[in-house]
Amino acid sequence: MTRAAGFVLLAAAIAQAQVPLGLDAYIPAPENNPLSIEKIALGRKLFFDKRLSRDGSIACASCHDPNLAFSDARPVALGIAGRKGTRRSPRIANRAYGKSFFWDGRAATLEEQVGGPIANPLEMDLPVAEAASRVNLSETELRRALASYVRTILAGDSPYDRFVAGDRTALNAQAQEGLKIFRGKGGCIACHLGPNLTDESFHNTGVGAGDEGRAKWSGRPEDTAAFKTPSLRDVASTPPYMHDGSVATLEDVVEHYNRGGRANPYLDSELHRLQLTDAEKRALVAFLKSLSGTIREGSL
Amino acid sequence: MRTLSTILLLAAALSPPKPVWTGPSVTLLGGPSKDGRWLSYVDHGDLALRELASGRTVVITKRANGSKEFAYFSTISPDSRRIAYAWFNKLGFYELRVVDLDGGEPRILYRNEETGFVQPCAWSADGSQILTLLFRKDNISQIVMQPAAGGLPKVLKSLNWIYPKKMDLSPDGRWIAYDSFASENSGERTIYLLAVDGSRERRLISEPGDHLFPVWTPDGNSVVYASGTGVRMLDLADGKSRSIADNLGRVVPLGITQDRTYYYGLRTGGTDVYASEIDMAQGKSGGSPRPVSIRFPGRNSQPSWSPDGQWLAFLSRRGTETFGEETRVLVLRAAKGDGERELAPKLARMDAPHWTPDGKALLVRGTDRLGREGLYRVDTETANAVRVAEPVDANGCSPAKAVLCGTELRVGAERYETTLAKPTELAWAPQRDAIFVGDGSRLVRIPLDHSPVQKVDTPSGFSIHPNGRTIAFTAGSTNSEVWALKIP
Ligand code: HEC
Ligand code: HEC
Repeated sequence: MTRAAGFVLLAAAIAQAQVPLGLDAYIPAPENNPLSIEKIALGRKLFFDKRLSRDGSIACASCHDPNLAFSDARPVALGIAGRKGTRRSPRIANRAYGKSFFWDGRAATLEEQVGGPIANPLEMDLPVAEAASRVNLSETELRRALASYVRTILAGDSPYDRFVAGDRTALNAQAQEGLKIFRGKGGCIACHLGPNLTDESFHNTGVGAGDEGRAKWSGRPEDTAAFKTPSLRDVASTPPYMHDGSVATLEDVVEHYNRGGRANPYLDSELHRLQLTDAEKRALVAFLKSLSGTIREGSL
Repeated sequence: MRTLSTILLLAAALSPPKPVWTGPSVTLLGGPSKDGRWLSYVDHGDLALRELASGRTVVITKRANGSKEFAYFSTISPDSRRIAYAWFNKLGFYELRVVDLDGGEPRILYRNEETGFVQPCAWSADGSQILTLLFRKDNISQIVMQPAAGGLPKVLKSLNWIYPKKMDLSPDGRWIAYDSFASENSGERTIYLLAVDGSRERRLISEPGDHLFPVWTPDGNSVVYASGTGVRMLDLADGKSRSIADNLGRVVPLGITQDRTYYYGLRTGGTDVYASEIDMAQGKSGGSPRPVSIRFPGRNSQPSWSPDGQWLAFLSRRGTETFGEETRVLVLRAAKGDGERELAPKLARMDAPHWTPDGKALLVRGTDRLGREGLYRVDTETANAVRVAEPVDANGCSPAKAVLCGTELRVGAERYETTLAKPTELAWAPQRDAIFVGDGSRLVRIPLDHSPVQKVDTPSGFSIHPNGRTIAFTAGSTNSEVWALKIP
């Protein structure tokens, strides 16, 4: 007889893990900006510091609220003086594993990205150098600190992660059925794959109108209205959905995919009518809800 | 002084590789123990050891007769007392086990049906951790450290679905060397170093070329790896690499022992596609077979004639051959003349090509770049691959109104039992008095007058020309050997 040693230890081992269960222990960071406790602590302060906005009214956390999975509840972002943006504030957990940033991927690194909202007239509206001098830092120091902090925002340890790690009881029967559909009939895994449930790539799913999306930066017509696949971690807690906040609920998202996305000349070839039954749609939503776990931030 | 050391170095480098083990029972699924005494391998599905000096073998596991279970990759602990190995279990997936070299009950270290494949690669020097590759159901491979005492593995890095060919731990236990693609759109591999504590990663080799199968030298100063048909060594102090051996062939590195003997597997032989005439009177294959293509000899297999008989399609391997999913292209060879075209569809794996009845595409079993398995339709003009839902499409209409339907052949209102479980191809006999039906490995001649079905004697992996006179088939085989080489 062989013994299944080690399985009783599962729960203890999960509790000990340094990064939330389901994520890689290796957290990529550029050679010139390795993670350090000091930079993370500084970046964390800056993230909540309203001085980084022109009129001192908003901070990063105003749109990326830790209580809302580092997003907000609005269809599109709201900047200083009630200025309305054009896109939804994304959840920003696990961006350390990202390959490009913003819905259209226009920033190649987090160091580059974090300056974007500060300078954006519809968001914080302050030249990055000026924001840095307000907090007595060089621009580079400001960028490196903020990027370091963002890298520590890690979401994992959801029922889904426990299930994948071998705990067969972590998902109920309906969510397991939803996972099957996610990987099979629904074809979701073609884009939402890997530990972070994203291919870090750009697709037109037929959402929105008038926003060129990726094409603006790639110059390729086939990227028209293509947006970066968002991670689906903690998705249940942050309606409304999509880059323009145009889809109200997870049920509506599933309905959108069931129709094969919205037809347009640039629609991704992976999308097609799914013919999901009502029970299958409910199972898929149940699975999406199982992707909510714990979000950890601010530590190495 | 300088010249002398150079000469000594050259002498060491040039000491020729020696064959260590040849013959039909060689497998390349294990590696040498650090003390150089044992080589682990798989013997008829059981984990086994071969004493390198004496050739004596010890079978460690005991599969039940006819069991579906079997041993796969293995690695011996640094003190030569335990072996970690992959075991394909009754439930239909691989689990990680460990067993003492001198027998005893194996212990399961990791069993998770969400992770259908495991490959133990190296032990830490203190024997407490096993560097292991996991391959998950969602087509993600992961580099993990599995505690040898059991418990949850620590996931260091998740990769896309194409996983490292080999990984090794530095003797000081701080670094993992592994191979992966040089860039997202590259088929070439290169070698990376990943810190065991998860703090850093860097690319080790930036030279162009295909570099894979990294193994650490016992002193931890260098990484030895396969490159093309040779072996190179990179000095970590100065970052320079040099050749250790050239033109070895298709190398599959296995490991290095304390005394710096480098063990590697060699794949020899190969398969080719031949064409030959069928002797109609006898219902036998006759004539002398001729190779269909002389380009890339030893790398060709699985021919299929187009319905109009103008083209022969077959699979041809490209790149270095190693384990697992090798790179293959589809070759279209004109039936007349030397015209040849290559199709490289964006598929990660291809198998069993055959033409669609309209002759515009090939159906292949395969895996796409997201690791999804299925039947794909490859357009012969554009090489575009599209997944097709219904595999039975493959059994469509024949060139001239003969149809395969399940196990049956239908010609007009006539029905014939083919005697084959899954017939996939058919061709008219030249006199149109019979139809040849095949399932890719067996061929029968079905006389239209309902006289008994005749078995036709052919090699496996064949295709019949629609003229009914010529068959194309695969012949040859690949063998494995184990060789050793002293590392300077
Ligand atoms: C006014 C609301 C708002 C504020 C303030 C704000 N953001 Fe954002 N953030 C957004 C929106 C909207 C996007 C997406 C913009 C786009 O794609 O064009 C975004 C995108 C991001 C992303 C990219 C996520 C990804 O997946 O690509 C990161 C990281 C980020 N913000 C961090 C920050 C940091 C750090 C700050 C403070 C310096 C900050 N944000 C301030 C609204 C805001
Ligand atoms: C072709 C790639 C692709 C496929 C297939 C796909 N998605 Fe998406 N998904 C995306 C992209 C891209 C977005 C963002 C689209 C946008 O905002 O314009 C997205 C957004 C979402 C969102 C909203 C997330 C948020 O934060 O707003 C959910 C939920 C979602 N997808 C679930 C699914 C499910 C469930 C399936 C399978 C039925 C699926 N996706 C299949 C690419 C894909």
